[in-house]
Amino acid sequence: MDGKIIVVTSGKGGVGKTTVTASVGAALAKQGKRVAVLDMDIGLRNLDVVMGLENRIVFNVVDVIQGRCKLRQAALKDRRIDNLYLIPASQSDEKSVIKPQNMTWLCNKLRREYDFALLDCPAGIEQGFKNAIEAADEAIVVCTPEVSSVRDADRVIGLLYARSITPRLIVNRIVPQLVEKGDMLSHADVVDVLSIDLLGLVEMDDAVVVSSNTGNPLVQQKESRAGMAFNRIAMRLDGHPDLPVEDPMAGRSFWQKVGKKLGRKNRTAKR
Amino acid sequence: MMMGLHMSHPDPPVRLKGVGDSLWITMDASLPVEVLKKELCKPFERLRHQAVNARIILDPGEKALDEPLLEDLSTFLKNRFQVGRVSRPPAPKAPPEDASTRPDPENGWLYQTEDSLVIAGRVRSGQKVEARKHLVILGDLNPGAEAIAGGDIIILGTLLGTAAAGQPDNESAIVVAMDFRPTQIQIAGYVAAGMSSSAGKKPEFASLDNSRVVVADYTKDNPFKRLAWPEVR
Repeated sequence: MDGKIIVVTSGKGGVGKTTVTASVGAALAKQGKRVAVLDMDIGLRNLDVVMGLENRIVFNVVDVIQGRCKLRQAALKDRRIDNLYLIPASQSDEKSVIKPQNMTWLCNKLRREYDFALLDCPAGIEQGFKNAIEAADEAIVVCTPEVSSVRDADRVIGLLYARSITPRLIVNRIVPQLVEKGDMLSHADVVDVLSIDLLGLVEMDDAVVVSSNTGNPLVQQKESRAGMAFNRIAMRLDGHPDLPVEDPMAGRSFWQKVGKKLGRKNRTAKR
Repeated sequence: MMMGLHMSHPDPPVRLKGVGDSLWITMDASLPVEVLKKELCKPFERLRHQAVNARIILDPGEKALDEPLLEDLSTFLKNRFQVGRVSRPPAPKAPPEDASTRPDPENGWLYQTEDSLVIAGRVRSGQKVEARKHLVILGDLNPGAEAIAGGDIIILGTLLGTAAAGQPDNESAIVVAMDFRPTQIQIAGYVAAGMSSSAGKKPEFASLDNSRVVVADYTKDNPFKRLAWPEVR
């Protein structure tokens, strides 16, 4: 197998990297791909909690790199979705125990075993970030419609381009009501400043919090708008690159609501 | 009186003066060798031991000093007065440029060879662009990015980051942007922060006015409109 290594990064913390990694990984696995999600946040692991696998961890990614176990031993199979595996981070080590050359070795192993490997990058642009992007083929930059998040994402995009990795953008946590009132940056503003390919727009959704706490995959909840957005993002990553990006703002104005009732199709966002 | 006296006595054929760490001898190279040697003896006998190991420059004035004559005199001075190195005067500096080839001040741009920097693309957060003279960015300057120039900064795009023009002390420098929404502007040593953008989305420029950075509409108040003749910035 010749899989793809995709790093999920943002610069700023708390914008939803872990949620994106877990959800996009689950969505890709639902489409029938063999997927590994790796927690690269050594020392502050939480991808296992979001996926509801925290009580099954025996080995972690540091054990794999230091030769204490095989890759397959550290990979935890998801309870609900076939073909989805989690390789957890170590909670007791520091980020410096992994060197960039270890990542090259690990990623080559992952490419042979899986169709997709999603790396959940730690916040910041230090050693942990450098490790995570070392051997990545692609990058997903997660950004919320906040000035601070946009600035950090911009910095990260510059660093990714410097490593010849072309990033794609997910704008997360859009609150259409606030955008409508002008109290939040619109996704168009964000895309305008960052000027990279848009992979998806994800609305703020209470189901995300519930899902993170229960470990119940977001992408299996049909009524969750965020879950559906992650499903479409996974389709764009695999096989349907031209699937139009749905604009969360579409259908919010009075006349558009009227139009919808009369059977007109939703507008789609400019890509 | 002095003048008349000087005129009545022609210049001696050999004159000596100290130049830096060497002795500069101006002589009339057209005289016969024997006469030259005799004339050279006069000042050197006065100097005596001071001439020992001295560096000598033989200046024939307007006339040419051919190689055998230089050789002959050099050997003579070394044997007789134990001088050090004997050489010709150093080649004169290149003559000043002819007026006809000098650039015409009214058409200065035809001869422009200055190091301005033109770049295309987006300058992202954490990136820094520096130019010795003017800086032109065909693209945007994002928040958190820096542009630094010795002259003007011209952004054919959106200015959202920090622009420092006229560094370190060019107070006539300006910052122009198609969409002017900077984090901070610096011109020479003056800083302006948190400038309120007028609506945005229109070309504006910042310049210094009485030690204050002021922003104006570029299309309305173009500072160069009134110049009589196009000139080099």
